[in-house]
Amino acid sequence: MPVQGIRTVAAARNGVGAFILPCKRMDFHYCDWAGSSRGMVSFLKSALPSFAKANPQIEIRVSPRPHKHPVIKGHYINGREKAICVRNLEPEQIFKKANLLKEASGEKLKRTKKPVTSINDSVRGIWSPYHGDIKTV
Amino acid sequence: MFARSVLRKALALPFEQTPSSTTLFRATLSTTTSTSTSTSPNPESPLSASPRAQFNNPTHQQHQPPVTPSSAASTPASTPYTTPQTSSHIPTHKQPLAPTFEAPLKVTSSLLELLPHLTAQRAHYITAHVHAKPYLVTAGDHLRLPFLMANVQPGDVIRLNRASVIGSRDFTLKGKPYIDERMFECRARVVGVDSEPMRYKEKTKRRQRHVRTIKSKERYTMLRIMDVKVKTKEELVQEGAVVVEGQDQATLEVKS
Repeated sequence: MPVQGIRTVAAARNGVGAFILPCKRMDFHYCDWAGSSRGMVSFLKSALPSFAKANPQIEIRVSPRPHKHPVIKGHYINGREKAICVRNLEPEQIFKKANLLKEASGEKLKRTKKPVTSINDSVRGIWSPYHGDIKTV
Repeated sequence: MFARSVLRKALALPFEQTPSSTTLFRATLSTTTSTSTSTSPNPESPLSASPRAQFNNPTHQQHQPPVTPSSAASTPASTPYTTPQTSSHIPTHKQPLAPTFEAPLKVTSSLLELLPHLTAQRAHYITAHVHAKPYLVTAGDHLRLPFLMANVQPGDVIRLNRASVIGSRDFTLKGKPYIDERMFECRARVVGVDSEPMRYKEKTKRRQRHVRTIKSKERYTMLRIMDVKVKTKEELVQEGAVVVEGQDQATLEVKS
């Protein structure tokens, strides 16, 4: 069997051609009885229909979670999920949290110092001491 | 300063761009704004009456982010969920403002001589400036701006119009200090908003036993560079560039 080189597969770079929103699903959990869910229940009644209509690319699930605090969970295309507890929050605050989950990338939060991440080869090549003309000091 | 110097929404989506899902939802929103204001140059069919009735409910609209209706794009009423592919699908009053220039672009003949070498050598890099900070990027790069950009949504395409250096492997086009924005195209897509982990800082005063802990958590806008393109000599001439002699605003250098 002949030796085969490792084939390079094009890495997915979301947004270069097509763009898919990283947040693919959002779960809204609430409790009918508990007072910490009061804002969540009113958010689900008033604001969630327009939020879902404005974001047709996100699957929205609403389910009760009795005797527990209300939670919003976002599921992302990289397989991770983010959960935010929204106990005792007002509907406007919950809307902000839902927007945060919508815009997030799903990655774990990291402190990065370099603004640019690139997987391209260096455009100008790597410097070599053995090539080019002799520089005088 | 921000609008003047740095960024401008892309004037047109290129044809080969695959429709984004975010523009999809903005397309649905836009039918409401265009019908409710009724200033659209091309009036919608009577089908648009039903979304108007739905969206004008004030309880629904108060939670809408303020950005979306202004930057939304309209679609024909027969296909309410199609994505705008080109600028012709977007009504004129919603298209971003084209920059106005007093004078045509002036290039020297010496630069025009060398320019085909730069445009022909693929893989360009660009040093784009955003808020006076330089970012050396190539097409496909991921750029995390050190601030949260206002009035953008994930999926938006913006155009970086201030650059100091554009180059390929052997050629470099340098601006003095910036290259005229009519000589290149650099588009970036807003991918989303990222944030850093919570930062704790302990504040102390001398001879006081009290220690105050402050928290901060910054948010950053993330961009994906879609393309870096230097306009060819023919495109420059076609767009009305004037060939002059003498000192130029930009110089093209060859790697020694």
